[in-house]
Amino acid sequence: MSTTRYVEQNALPALLEALRTAFGQEQRILVPVLQPAVKESVVFKPWQLGMAFTLKKATVPPKEAVLPPCETLVQYKRTKNPENPAELTLEVTEETHCQPTIVFGCRPCDARGFSILDRPYLQGPFADPYYQRRRESLTVITQTCNSTGNTCFCHWTGSGPTHPEGSDVLMTAVENGYWLEAVSPRGEKLLAALSLADGAPHADAAQKVRENVNATLEPAPDLSKTQARLAARFTDADFWRDQTARCLSCGGCTYFCPTCYCFNITDEGDGYGENPGRRLRTWDSCMASHFTREASGHNSRPNTQDRMRNRISHKFSTYPETWGTFSCNGCGRCISNCPVCLDIRAIVLAATSD
Amino acid sequence: MSTLKGKELRIVGFLCNWCSYGGADTAGVARATQPTDLRIIRVPCSGRIDPLFILRALFNGADGVLVSGCHPNDCHYSEGNFYARRRLEVLKQFLPVLGIDDRRFEYTWVSASEGQRWKEVVTTFTERIHALGPAPVLEDAQALFRVADMTLSPLHALGTGIQAPLEELKSAIKSRLPELDCVLGWQQGHDAIHSVPLFMRSPEDVDKLVWGPLNVNNLAVYLPSLKGKKTGIVVKGCDSRSVVELLQENLIKRDDVVIFSMPCEGTLDMARVMQKLGSYKTISQTDSDDKGITVTTDTGKHRFDMSLWAQGKCYGCATPGALLADVRLGTLHPVTPAPTTPPELAMLDAMSLEERRSFWKAQMDRCLRCYACRNACPMCVCRDYCVSDSRDPHWMTQDDSANEKLFFQTIHAMHLAGRCTGCGECQRACPVGIPILALRQHIARAVGTLFDGYQAGIQPKATPPLLGFEVQEKNIHEREWK
Amino acid sequence: MRIGVFICHCGSNIGGTVDCAQVAHDAQSLPEVVYAINLMYSCAEPGQAAIEEAIKEYQLTGVVVASCSPRMHEPTFRRTVERAGLNRYMFEMANIREHVSWIGKDKEANTNKANELVAMAVEKLRRNRPLHAQSFDVNKRVLVIGGGVAGIQAALDCADGNIPVVLVEREATIGGKMAKLDKTFPTVDCSACILGPKMVDVAQHPNITLHAFSEIESISGYVGNFTVTIRKKSTYVDWTKCTGCGACTEKCPNKKTPDAFNEFTGPTTAISIAFPQAIPKRAVINPDYCRQLQKGKCGVCAKICPTGAIKYEMEDEVITEEVGAIVAATGYDLMDWTVYQEYGGGRYPDVITSLQYERLLSASGPTGGHVKRPSDGREPKNVVFIQCVGSRDKSIGRPYCSGFCCMYTAKQAVLTKEHIPDAQSFVFYMDIRASGKLYDEFIRRTIEEYGTEYIRGRVSKIYPDGKGSYTVCGVDTLMGKAITVSADLVVLAVGIEGSKDASKLAEKLRISYDKYGFFMESHPKLKPVQTNTAGVFLAGVCQGTKDIPSSVSQGSAAASKVLTLFSADKLQNDPQISAVDIKRCVGCGKCVQTCPFGAIQLTEIRGQEKAQVIDTVCQGCGLCSSTCPQGAIQLAHSTDNQILAEVHALCQR
Repeated sequence: MSTTRYVEQNALPALLEALRTAFGQEQRILVPVLQPAVKESVVFKPWQLGMAFTLKKATVPPKEAVLPPCETLVQYKRTKNPENPAELTLEVTEETHCQPTIVFGCRPCDARGFSILDRPYLQGPFADPYYQRRRESLTVITQTCNSTGNTCFCHWTGSGPTHPEGSDVLMTAVENGYWLEAVSPRGEKLLAALSLADGAPHADAAQKVRENVNATLEPAPDLSKTQARLAARFTDADFWRDQTARCLSCGGCTYFCPTCYCFNITDEGDGYGENPGRRLRTWDSCMASHFTREASGHNSRPNTQDRMRNRISHKFSTYPETWGTFSCNGCGRCISNCPVCLDIRAIVLAATSD
Repeated sequence: MSTLKGKELRIVGFLCNWCSYGGADTAGVARATQPTDLRIIRVPCSGRIDPLFILRALFNGADGVLVSGCHPNDCHYSEGNFYARRRLEVLKQFLPVLGIDDRRFEYTWVSASEGQRWKEVVTTFTERIHALGPAPVLEDAQALFRVADMTLSPLHALGTGIQAPLEELKSAIKSRLPELDCVLGWQQGHDAIHSVPLFMRSPEDVDKLVWGPLNVNNLAVYLPSLKGKKTGIVVKGCDSRSVVELLQENLIKRDDVVIFSMPCEGTLDMARVMQKLGSYKTISQTDSDDKGITVTTDTGKHRFDMSLWAQGKCYGCATPGALLADVRLGTLHPVTPAPTTPPELAMLDAMSLEERRSFWKAQMDRCLRCYACRNACPMCVCRDYCVSDSRDPHWMTQDDSANEKLFFQTIHAMHLAGRCTGCGECQRACPVGIPILALRQHIARAVGTLFDGYQAGIQPKATPPLLGFEVQEKNIHEREWK
Repeated sequence: MRIGVFICHCGSNIGGTVDCAQVAHDAQSLPEVVYAINLMYSCAEPGQAAIEEAIKEYQLTGVVVASCSPRMHEPTFRRTVERAGLNRYMFEMANIREHVSWIGKDKEANTNKANELVAMAVEKLRRNRPLHAQSFDVNKRVLVIGGGVAGIQAALDCADGNIPVVLVEREATIGGKMAKLDKTFPTVDCSACILGPKMVDVAQHPNITLHAFSEIESISGYVGNFTVTIRKKSTYVDWTKCTGCGACTEKCPNKKTPDAFNEFTGPTTAISIAFPQAIPKRAVINPDYCRQLQKGKCGVCAKICPTGAIKYEMEDEVITEEVGAIVAATGYDLMDWTVYQEYGGGRYPDVITSLQYERLLSASGPTGGHVKRPSDGREPKNVVFIQCVGSRDKSIGRPYCSGFCCMYTAKQAVLTKEHIPDAQSFVFYMDIRASGKLYDEFIRRTIEEYGTEYIRGRVSKIYPDGKGSYTVCGVDTLMGKAITVSADLVVLAVGIEGSKDASKLAEKLRISYDKYGFFMESHPKLKPVQTNTAGVFLAGVCQGTKDIPSSVSQGSAAASKVLTLFSADKLQNDPQISAVDIKRCVGCGKCVQTCPFGAIQLTEIRGQEKAQVIDTVCQGCGLCSSTCPQGAIQLAHSTDNQILAEVHALCQR
């Protein structure tokens, strides 16, 4: 039996304050914050006492907790020998600073994103040290969904509105508060250390809430043949043209995806003088033309349809080929954020059909 | 390099080689003592100065930027300074919307013989910058959130267009389809409240065509990539301005496009609509009447009256019908033209410079650089070769600071100066709702004021104002230097 | 790169207020700088030698000299680095004299500023690339536009230098304004007698092709290789047959045709020859007055012509000439003096321009050289000359001095006395400007020997006195009193402006012009004959006011520039020109639209439209670079990255 706790709705700020020093370390706590605009958006921001936060599904997933949109990998400085200015010393400093982070209030699709990212970043022939440092000090407190939205399709992909993959603690809204359930050893340790009410009295109510939402799900389509069918469609240019004609080739879908992990590396500044040079790692997008542009000018994916084929195939064919699972969580952000509402579900279904 | 602390501020000058650089030399030869702050960058001609150099300097911490070229008519290259004059004036008018005091940038004309005048220019400008003090840093601004008030009265009656002759349109398209590679229109998207672009290649495709206030996408964005192919396009009035602007710039050929015009009664502001609908799972029913749409979802019934829920641009729309069309269908609501300020722009107008900096700081902090704004823009000609991600030329770092992200928006806005038709697709495409259209609207207003009410995308034969000049500019006057 | 930095003291010019040793020391820490030193005089021979030695000793691949203005010594140091084996464009200059040491007294601030300017220059240099000029063939033919005295001189000098010349004249005869003059000052030589032989030389010179009654239609190409189209306007007379016998002009029934050559002082015939010494001496029909062309019946000239040269059906012909250089010598026109309502605004027949008066004085003029009033043919006794009509008058937007009016007015006063011994001349003047050789002496003779009365002051009003003469009211500012003079004839010394439509020609030539229609020279002091378009030169009044000897001198000067240009078989272009990165170019054509020189064209490369720079036409202004949104077209030596590097050297955040 896992550790469970109960926290009242109005005690959430106090809980966040308590989490600041969880595991005896100073924690950065990322909470969803509503930013008002004509089109309001919900983004993860570091918690500060008194700050308003929301538990709505975020517009932008909390991927930045492990993979920031821009991070400095190394700094470098060139110093000249005062006796002989032609002689240079290059001093390279690796960025090793990493603040332990707690993601609070993300959804199961977001949490599962972390486990999708873990495979290429940690389980391949090389572990990415920057990712690793952040991931190993990451705690994920996930809020299970009480309902699903019209672009949600998490249960198609092996996830679900109450799925624990990638989470340390699941929290489920019950009357006047939240029922917290540890779903990993890290979660166990966290909940055990917090002075919160025992969750047992609310366990049944919480289970009921979870069952209710799972009961609303339409049966998922059979995607067992998707991987092979997509691979077979690789050369079907007409299929990809028709499916992707309206795509504008922006990077919206990839930048808002909890599982897209491509990056670019650039050196900014040459390291002479006062300001050190910096090697930056920034999010990249396979939907951008220059993603595959070679130095010669040749581009192996010159058209939108080539790039969209890559994006869909990666998520539903090549990633599963390597790692055994779709690298899509069905969060639906690529549909809801797309300027032309390109529907990945429709493409996957079309590709899967005979 | 740092400025001499306590004594100097960072002032950058861009001077043309032939006149003003010579004028500065003449001042030197005459030992005309000047403040020491200014650092001069020599360029061949004031026409060489991309306004973005000035923005780059200001975004990198310059406290003031001074540009000087040959007097009008005296350009070594005969016309360079005429182009510069228009571009620099537009830049000067652009700065305040970013929260930059426009007094930090000045441009003037100094000939090679005017050493004394150069001394006065430098002295006056340096004194001005010292009076303004060090330029505020965007990254230091306190985040400020503000939302535009969308309750406006429209110039023409807004409605759902249910009277529009959709069936006639379908048959018109079907009859032209054999001669066309494809026709662009709209179809229903993933649910009943979304419509998406439709590429019609067969009569069966045409049957999918829909018309109504959900047809938000500006389909002109696809035309340049279809250049050389015979393409049909169904347009709203605002979309037709993009088509006209593309024709103005020869980015598409008139003979290659067949324009189908439908009378537009307004489109829904999907950002607000989706916010109102909140999280829903299914839509069971949508009912349209003349005035609006009622949407029934699993969470309840929601009414969207067009007069309250239209896109910001629809309230100020004076062109509900296409400005240029081959096939015209339906009848238009009459328009009562009146000066209007778009809601996003009105919101910024009401802010102080400091508030604007705070506003943009808050907005840019959540920008993810997905560049949907750029790719949704029908006028972005660079397509796959945007300078935002190029190293040669290397205008931007890949740093994700608010400063760099706002700088990208200035690139986009300046490249659109005098070309933007205000279709608003940039803003609509932004997944995090940053009101970037306001930057373009601000420039469009300045362009209109400077160039006799010029609006982009109205006249197919008109030259975009920043690609032309008048020897005697009616509305650009050199400012007094004393 | 291995960069060397040289900080010049320029004696105490820089060293006095900049710590040059400190700047050199600080420069050593700049990127890729491997050597930095201060020199006493870097432009002097030992200084240049030191730079050359350092380049060799330290294997420098780029050099920065911080000294005076690059407008002063950039060419010098470019040659220096070239001698040491570097490409001349692997060099940058920091101006620490005119822009630092001479304008600031604070040594600390100056030294800091010099440091920054050096850092900027280093950052730019790091992005410099070796540039190489291209050479191309020169078409050794010259086009002279305008057959006035300046153009004639330029044409004859070039032709004598064995260069084929194409001379284009708008009117039916060459000779320009000088041909209309009766006499010239200060020698009172007969104008036609001294110009005539030169005109004949033009006609007879084997190297000169004359296109009279023709205008420039278009000009394309670049120095060494211009293509010019010329519109030969229809004369309705086949000039290959016309002998200039004049029989047609005697029999032409319409004798009331306005006579432009005579400045409309008398009528001519619908078919006419401008004047007896005209070159070419050929007849021209004025179609607006020819009865055959207007009404379809007459045909007298065709019947009378002994060679059958009349061709009523003749049309304009456009021909093309290929040349390597162009001399513009389009001269001037009088400004529209009728803006002066106080002088009658053109309503009084006996208030005439000085050029009209020349025709009245000329033996080949409408009155045969007898001065007669236009109104009644009476010989005038009191002649009033008014100077500066449309010169030095800011109130009508003419601030400049027309230069030669003082002198010809004096000449006309002298001629008046010689034609009418009992006449009295009065000259209202502002200042007498007589700075030429023998000029002031001539003015003195006009006053002392010819009794001309000079009144310093302006005329406020002219009105008919009702008795057939005019009352001229003015002020004598020397006496400090108002003055009235009764005049039978008033001659206005009307100010001049660039020739009609000069601006249109300037645009075809892609040269600058001022608001008075005068063409802009390349440098007002040092390049008065050149323009900013390579291969286009200026001669005569089209560049600014001047008298006959100055016009002739400039004609010769322009010819010498042409001959110099043509002395090489190949020309080299300036490699600081734009180039297109065809990968980035999307073929939007914005650069084509804005290029002031037509130096960019769209061409198809593998099925896609791309911009292409015509290397020899590009002048290197860089307007295209700032126009191209994707940065696909870059001006060599002023690329976006180079300018951005300078910005970044100054502003870093």
